[in-house]
Amino acid sequence: MRAPRSLALLLSPVLTVAIVAVVAPFVSRRRAAKPADAAGTAAAIALPATISFNEHIRPIFVHNCFRCHGSDPGSRKAELRLDRPEFAFAPRANGQPVIVKGNPGASALVRRITSSDPDVVMPPPEMHKTLEPREKALLERWIKDGAQYQPHWSLIKPERPALPNVRQADRARNPIDRFVLARLEEEGLTLNPEADRHTLVRRVTLDLTGLPPTPEEVEAFVRDESKQAYEALVERLLARPSYGEHRARYWLDSVRYADTNGYHFDNYRSIWPYRDWVINAFNANQPFDRFTQEQIAGDMFPRPTQDQRIATGFIRAGMSTNEGGTIPAENLAIYATDRVETTSQVWLGLTVGCARCHDHKFDPISTKDFYSMAAFFRNTTQPAMDKNLMDSPPILRMPRAEDAKRYAALPGEIDAARKAYDSRVKSAESAFEAWQRTQGPADVPTIGDERLDFRLLPDPAEPTTLRNVVSPDRAFTFTGGKPRVVTSPQGPAVRLPKGVTADLGDLGDVESDEPFSYGAWVQVTDTVDGALLARMDVANGYRGWDLWMKGSRAGAQIISSWNQDALRVLAQKAVPSEGWHHVFVTYDGSRTAKGVKIYYDGEAQEVFEEVDSLRGSIRTKTPLRLNRRSTGEGAEGASVYDIRFYRSALAAPKVQVLARRGMLAAALTETPEQRTPKQLQPLRDYYLDFLDADAMRLRDARNALVDEFEAVKARTKVTLIAEEKKGQQPFAHILIRGQYDQEGDKVQAAVPAALPPLPKGAPANRLGLAQWLTHPDHPLTARVNVNRFWAQVFGQGLVPSVGEFGITGEPPTHPKLLDWLAVEFRESGWDVKALFRLMVTSATYRQSAAATPLKLEKDADNRLLSRGPRFRMHGEMIRDLALVASGELSPKIGGPSVKPYQPPGLWEVVAMEESNTKIYVPDRGQANYRRSLYTFWKRAAPPPAMETFNAPTREQCAVDRERTNSPLQALVTLNDVQFVEASRRLAEIAIHEGGENDAGRLDAIALHVLGRPLETAERKALEPVIRDLRDRYARDSKASKALVAVGDSRPAASIPTPELAAWTMVASQFFNLDEALNK
Amino acid sequence: MTTKDHSACCSGGDDRTMSRRELLAQTGRGIGAVALASMLGNPRLFAEGMAGLPTLPHFRPKARRAIWLFPAGAPSQIDTWDYKPRLHEMFAKELPGSVRGNQRLTTMTSTQKSFPVAPSLFKFAQAGQSGTWVSELFPWTAKVVDQLAVVRSLHTEAINHEPATIAVNTGNQLPGRPCLGSWLSYGLGSMNENLPTFVVMTSTYTNKSNVQALSARMWSSGFLPARHSGVSVRGAGDPVLYLSDPDGVDRETRRRMLDGVQALNERQAEALHDPETETRIAQYEMAFRMQASVPELTDVSGEPESVLGLYGAEVRKPGTFAANCLLARRMIERGVRFVQIYHRGWDSHTNLPHQHRLQANDTDQACYGLITDLLQRGLLEDTLVIWGGEFGRTVYSQGVLKEDNYGRDHHPRCYSMWLAGGGVKAGVVYGETDDFSYNITKDPVHQRDLHATILNLFGLNHDAFTFRHQGLDQKLVGVEVPAHVVKGILA
Repeated sequence: MRAPRSLALLLSPVLTVAIVAVVAPFVSRRRAAKPADAAGTAAAIALPATISFNEHIRPIFVHNCFRCHGSDPGSRKAELRLDRPEFAFAPRANGQPVIVKGNPGASALVRRITSSDPDVVMPPPEMHKTLEPREKALLERWIKDGAQYQPHWSLIKPERPALPNVRQADRARNPIDRFVLARLEEEGLTLNPEADRHTLVRRVTLDLTGLPPTPEEVEAFVRDESKQAYEALVERLLARPSYGEHRARYWLDSVRYADTNGYHFDNYRSIWPYRDWVINAFNANQPFDRFTQEQIAGDMFPRPTQDQRIATGFIRAGMSTNEGGTIPAENLAIYATDRVETTSQVWLGLTVGCARCHDHKFDPISTKDFYSMAAFFRNTTQPAMDKNLMDSPPILRMPRAEDAKRYAALPGEIDAARKAYDSRVKSAESAFEAWQRTQGPADVPTIGDERLDFRLLPDPAEPTTLRNVVSPDRAFTFTGGKPRVVTSPQGPAVRLPKGVTADLGDLGDVESDEPFSYGAWVQVTDTVDGALLARMDVANGYRGWDLWMKGSRAGAQIISSWNQDALRVLAQKAVPSEGWHHVFVTYDGSRTAKGVKIYYDGEAQEVFEEVDSLRGSIRTKTPLRLNRRSTGEGAEGASVYDIRFYRSALAAPKVQVLARRGMLAAALTETPEQRTPKQLQPLRDYYLDFLDADAMRLRDARNALVDEFEAVKARTKVTLIAEEKKGQQPFAHILIRGQYDQEGDKVQAAVPAALPPLPKGAPANRLGLAQWLTHPDHPLTARVNVNRFWAQVFGQGLVPSVGEFGITGEPPTHPKLLDWLAVEFRESGWDVKALFRLMVTSATYRQSAAATPLKLEKDADNRLLSRGPRFRMHGEMIRDLALVASGELSPKIGGPSVKPYQPPGLWEVVAMEESNTKIYVPDRGQANYRRSLYTFWKRAAPPPAMETFNAPTREQCAVDRERTNSPLQALVTLNDVQFVEASRRLAEIAIHEGGENDAGRLDAIALHVLGRPLETAERKALEPVIRDLRDRYARDSKASKALVAVGDSRPAASIPTPELAAWTMVASQFFNLDEALNK
Repeated sequence: MTTKDHSACCSGGDDRTMSRRELLAQTGRGIGAVALASMLGNPRLFAEGMAGLPTLPHFRPKARRAIWLFPAGAPSQIDTWDYKPRLHEMFAKELPGSVRGNQRLTTMTSTQKSFPVAPSLFKFAQAGQSGTWVSELFPWTAKVVDQLAVVRSLHTEAINHEPATIAVNTGNQLPGRPCLGSWLSYGLGSMNENLPTFVVMTSTYTNKSNVQALSARMWSSGFLPARHSGVSVRGAGDPVLYLSDPDGVDRETRRRMLDGVQALNERQAEALHDPETETRIAQYEMAFRMQASVPELTDVSGEPESVLGLYGAEVRKPGTFAANCLLARRMIERGVRFVQIYHRGWDSHTNLPHQHRLQANDTDQACYGLITDLLQRGLLEDTLVIWGGEFGRTVYSQGVLKEDNYGRDHHPRCYSMWLAGGGVKAGVVYGETDDFSYNITKDPVHQRDLHATILNLFGLNHDAFTFRHQGLDQKLVGVEVPAHVVKGILA
């Protein structure tokens, strides 16, 4: 077999720049890895007529030599560099270079690689690398031929190559096919015939929209006899909104988009408007250069539009932290690193991460280049700590149109209202002064009865018995031991050991839509965890309510069924471990977490709203208990006094009065003249809150405005954006070995030296970087992105290492085709839809996917494109296919991410206690049926079904997904509620559409899932299975009922349950077919 | 099938032969003869997910499997394994500047004005024949101390949990590298056909203050093929995600349903000759077998009282550290190669004595139980058990030091771990720190040395066990600084 490419090289013996670009080699790693002929001596090995540095020599150097003799001075040995000609040909200590052009015999390099002396031979034995005889022969011949070096292919600007002549020109539908055919003909292969129409419509619909065709669409295409039927189909698909959604999904992997901040708390962050911007950009077919520029530097455009600012979410999509103890300078260095790596991967196809610590071992990216790139991204106003906020600045807040006026006006109005109130506070001082002089010990304020339901105090005679002050004849005693009697400032109180509890009977029996308030004086000398006061039935989904402590933080739970139908609010701070504190919860009956407030000593606390999904009833027959729920052990070590329960939501001032009665009483026992300023303050607060009509009115007015503003803000869209620091040129310090605190030289923002410079007049900031990336002379941007788009459709890139176009990446399989496409893409005005149109209308794309033994032998991985693209779809496409086939898919586009079905407990096991994404509470209804790209993405625990199908975590840029096949994937499509429910819905459709006849039903299912009717033999193969399933479910009505009840939606009542159950399993079979999982 | 990397083939080792025989025995009815034949005749199937590299191991391994008990959040070495009797004289005195040097501190204590020395409140006693000093926090572990090699001289560069936990798992602070379990799975392959090669379990924990997050990046396969990632086996719900058939589907029904799937898949394989279709057929049969083998694994009802009793009362509560330790033993018995058990809640910046007591309570007896159980079954010989996490804690108190209370900040300069079984020298203590457990004075062990040592026990040369990625032959121990096998703890 002749060596691939040798012919092309013979035709072009002079190495010009243009040729270097097109001659980029085909060296299959598979082939290169094959052991060379053991008996081979240099003479016996067949070598290509012309040795090319890029094709033959550089790979040998990369794999064997550059580690110690490459560009990194840190690991360089013997002061020898082989990566650049000027060093390789420089005389050594003995006056001779290691490579003597034209004279292998005189070249030390040849002597060293052929030596049998372990002390002399290269690579040295401890490197565990051995040169193959063929490799040695290649090096010798290359030196003999003059040891010509070449720049790396991908760093040379692509030029449009001529279309190759091919024997089967009639098979070519467009230029793509000419290049592909040329390569196939070299191997004695050819394209497959066109795939049948059913396969074709399914393939192209999935590739362009990510969704399968409906049976009607299949039918319409199959019947369309016009010559342009396929082209017309492609146009229809490119015009669909689902096209942009599908393209966006790939993009979101590469820009590491997610709904949480990633590090530490991994809290929710609001950046979904950026996701929607990406969808819209693809749908509007925004030119790719513009698409690039707006993401890199949309904020720096002259008078940027709202959309251009949203686009800079790209800069902010990386992870951020608020971990206590982290060092701000280090965080900022990490953020910048992430942006450099992402930008380099996405647009340059270069992995530059190594250069963070040392000069890149193989690629011409130095540490200086890395930090010069980092400088572009270190000039934003993003803080080092994100404060765990969903709206960590800089942000864009976008009020709804109907709110815009109020949103603009409210800050001013609030300010005025605050001032008015403050001025009333001042002017009321004399009235207060007069009033307080009239107040004595008998005037300790109270808050009225406020529907006080019960109030428990220790019996003064027997403090381990509690008495309800509201109806004093009932006494409550403890079980499980005796509480310890301790002293509180108000009198004897009880300290509750573990297991000691009191049954308080039917007290506190309330409904979830009623307002109520409860709490007590509490002392926590040690960390307390557990329920203090609870009317809660653990066995019945924790129904009821409680006051509980976690790490001495007070929390309130109001639950119908944990955690789908519940509220859980937890104070952020612990109750101080010294002294007694008034801990109080108020709930307004709104069934929202916002309606719950927690007070310590009258101060409203910052809270975590951990679960906010309450809808149902919370009433339970379980008695109210102190220090325990219906079961369990309760808290240990808390002391309590004065437990109260009101059937109303106490307003903040009233809670303050409850908490401060002691202080008020203390103040009032003094004579007015003796009262200190500290004692007067609670009195003054009381006066203003309850007695001064003007102050009360102004306070209410102010509060109403604040509430209104909060409500408007809660309705606004918020998204993280980038913002450049004003009046400062971007710069960075080289960080020695990547250490944030080892600052080396200061560098200005600059692009890597080995690539073209910034365009003339472009500023040395993100805007300039954006212009540079999209400049027509740029050698990488178009190639890299065309290659990734190609991989989306064909399953692998023309450069198989889609994220690595550097020296260590794989060379292109079709270098001329890649360059032709890159130039075409650029010259089309970076028209993405046109590129996809070109790809999917090629004969290469339209071929059948069937393999022959010859093709499997010569083109095992289909890198030569000898057959149509067929490969397992991404998890999102598989789920979306089930949603479409079952008629469930929600047509809604965009908006906040949703939480569909997910097995319980996945977030809890990894999340921090304080995280607001600790508990996964699934949404209901439509949220279960949205396209998968809208599924909430928590970085520490990505959607499990997607992750099982090789989705990345979105913690860092991922330009490529693996495609493994593991049994865990089969379990998803067999057992995930999403797929079981879809199977039932599809069964309903099939029974409806197919009528009484099994064949008709089967065809209906096949059309929805596979886009084709079944063949007779397939139907026959399924007949006994269907018969058997039918028998089983007819016999077992319990199983039938259980199966059709899976999922939120209700089964169709018109279909007998056993029949529906049997067909649910039949439909499920189809979702699990190899054909269904492949596109 | 992934197109990345090597296309390994069956290595023909003893594991392989066994697996094939097992596979034959366990492949139930239903799978078509054609599919079965092609499965057994298709080395690519075995390449995917099962076989290791044909050239490995490099030399005769002493350990064939490992269990890593991971106390997440960083236990204090001063209160557990690094006994410092002289600290009591130093109570509340300022940590000498000469000891502290110019070490980087977290921002949690870097602004602290004083660094008062906080001696451990826990009593230490010598245990076993070896006379190893053990804290009263671990009365049970003390009983098996003669099986352990305690290393007191671990160190790392990372100073915060997230990067440090990633580093001790993967050898690098930044996410994206494969962790130890993934390397072992990739290099050595699976020893069974029905269970994952690398399993991760997270345990319930008692101290709820300041609990650090875990994430899948800690058991990620990084740039290795994804099938080498750790598989989470869970204490609650399905032990493996989506394992259970839906309500209303019993095993027979599932089998029948799969018969239909496979019948159509076989036709597909014949029509297109796509090798991946054959893989799919096998994938579904394996899923079916796992649905039986995993519940069998997690059903501990057959364990006798005498065994359950070793692990303590908590062993009966699914999801506890004790229950996970028992499961780990059952897993390695069934050919799981690497099991990692996380136990969170050790990050005691304040109130350390109380919090550590709770945490030790969760884990101590189970550690004893696991070692004893393995020993009794003769499994300890070739099962490596590792206890330890991301870094240690400072000798000085974070916040106010009291007679009976203190907190400690992160301390990467030295900390303790222990190893047992699998070729580890029993009953030794390795490495020394200064009087303040602040700096290492003898035999430092960087985390990369730990990795090199573990690989060595598995018969792997840490420098020769590589994977090409981004043009570098990447290694678990990194490519920057040489790693050394800690010979002093090898049997």
